[in-house]
Amino acid sequence: MSTDTPDESGLDPDSIRGIFGLDFRTADTLYQLLLSLSAAFFFVLIMFPIYWMLQSSLKTRSGREAVSWLPTGETFTLEYYTDLIGSSVGTFIFNSVVVTLGTIVLVVIVSLIAGYGLARLEFGHKENFARFLLFGYMFSPIVLGLPLYLIWRNLGLLGTRVGLIVALTAISMPFSVWLMWKYIQTIPEAMEESAWVAGASRWRGFRDVVIPQTQPAIIASALFAFALAWNDYTFASILLPEQQQMTFAPGLLQLINTGYGAPWGQVMAVSMLTTIPPLLFAYFLQSYLLKGFQIRSL
Amino acid sequence: MASEVKTGDQRGFSLSQLPLTERHVGFLSILPVILLYLVISIIPVGYAVYTSLHEVSLAAQTWPFVGLQNYVEVFQIDRFWDSLIRGVVFMVGSTILQLIVGLWMAMTLNRINRAQRLITAVVFTSYLIPTIVVTLLATFMLSPSFGVIQELGANLLGLWSPNDAPLGQRSLAMPLLILIGTWKFSVFITIFTLAQLRSIPSRFYEAARVCGANKWEMFRDVTLPRIQGVILVAVLLRSIFMFNKFDLIWTLTQGGPGSATTTLPVLAYIEGFQNFNLGLANALAVVMFVFLAIGGIAYFKAFNPSSEVET
Repeated sequence: MSTDTPDESGLDPDSIRGIFGLDFRTADTLYQLLLSLSAAFFFVLIMFPIYWMLQSSLKTRSGREAVSWLPTGETFTLEYYTDLIGSSVGTFIFNSVVVTLGTIVLVVIVSLIAGYGLARLEFGHKENFARFLLFGYMFSPIVLGLPLYLIWRNLGLLGTRVGLIVALTAISMPFSVWLMWKYIQTIPEAMEESAWVAGASRWRGFRDVVIPQTQPAIIASALFAFALAWNDYTFASILLPEQQQMTFAPGLLQLINTGYGAPWGQVMAVSMLTTIPPLLFAYFLQSYLLKGFQIRSL
Repeated sequence: MASEVKTGDQRGFSLSQLPLTERHVGFLSILPVILLYLVISIIPVGYAVYTSLHEVSLAAQTWPFVGLQNYVEVFQIDRFWDSLIRGVVFMVGSTILQLIVGLWMAMTLNRINRAQRLITAVVFTSYLIPTIVVTLLATFMLSPSFGVIQELGANLLGLWSPNDAPLGQRSLAMPLLILIGTWKFSVFITIFTLAQLRSIPSRFYEAARVCGANKWEMFRDVTLPRIQGVILVAVLLRSIFMFNKFDLIWTLTQGGPGSATTTLPVLAYIEGFQNFNLGLANALAVVMFVFLAIGGIAYFKAFNPSSEVET
């Protein structure tokens, strides 16, 4: 993080003109002002809906129907959260956690191995293979639904969480493989070579030299897989039709569509719970994520 | 994919314990990827192509081969061309807006000194929030009876009539979808760009300052060359993702009101899963794929996002 402090560069500040012919000091002040305004704008833009979700989940029905900034004493309630304990929604969230964790682990393992192979081993058509993978994204996922349903049924994976994990892994894999491959290319090969000279096998070199250094890309891939699995509605609704294994995305829609009048309080409470992990990850893992994304080209 | 081609001759000692050649190990390392790719991409795409060439009905045992009849039908229905135009509007509008907002966010996050970590976390969160939550929240906030945005937009600013739901209006539905998508997906571009911005050594800017460059010149001559390549990649990926975007549109508007937000993926879904017109739906999917593939190849030829900018 480089901070941009105006320093005295030894030049007369009036002899050169900044942007729009303003002198440098005015331009700098203006720039700082724009910066603060932009930061505040984006913060409010993204935080406002999240805040609205939180406060709506803590209000009774009558409190929600009169638009207000805060729940008052008589409209404040925790019932929507306490109601969730032991309800089917708890199962939905648990299923989502299982599926998401499984997807993350599988994506990281597969893309680490493939990324290493693409970056360090010589075999034909490597670049073409990687481009070919990205072409997979061009086929609209919604049309994959029916063939996937049939293939999964034949493999006996339909209605199992493992089946959804495999599908989601396959979907997020091209991007993760590409990320790993590009990242491992930036690690100097000399480090591995010195391990080999010391008698380490290729596997040992990979395990003890490459993996520790690939940590940012691993976290970036894991977060990408998390975003995909945690977000997924389309595949979950096709491959897990049973209530027992349902994840929260189709589960939430079901909650909305049963009975009359959407149970907004419950929906907002569940939405809030599913927003907390992203907030925590974004706060604690942001620097790794940014390091992992320091790639330059396709 | 500009990496210097290496010959694998100086590595004999590393593989001497293994009876496998480097080519075999290399192939083994991508084998899981190939297998996964087979079940998620190759077989389903093959299935789609096969189905698109047949007269499919779920009741019949055998599907007669009809050649290109489904494709002829695709190009003859007005709904296809209308949906293609709407899809392109949605894709181009979304991508441009996301690029502007994403870059602006990256520039902002790169330079703020106070609460940087917190604001970055909040901004990144929008990408990780589940689509379904974004949909439900948008529905809730736009609700005609108790929505806060309805309150602000209709009653305070008078942008639309207080009795209407903005997503239920032909003129507002598509712009709103683009805006909601931008809220969620701009961060994708921000992450790519910010990662590059962080890697620019500050001495570059110091040197530029000593030479008397102003902010705009610094951006043009120092920053832009560094982030150009990665922006090209991010724009390509975002365009593809937005063109194929289904869940956000479907859960918010089901392609309505009327068909104001029916893009090609929505049309394919309606034809396939509601009208059970599988031959036509799969032909649509293949046409969409060809459209994107041609667009992608043209993009590569025009901008070459593979080339790295050496700075």
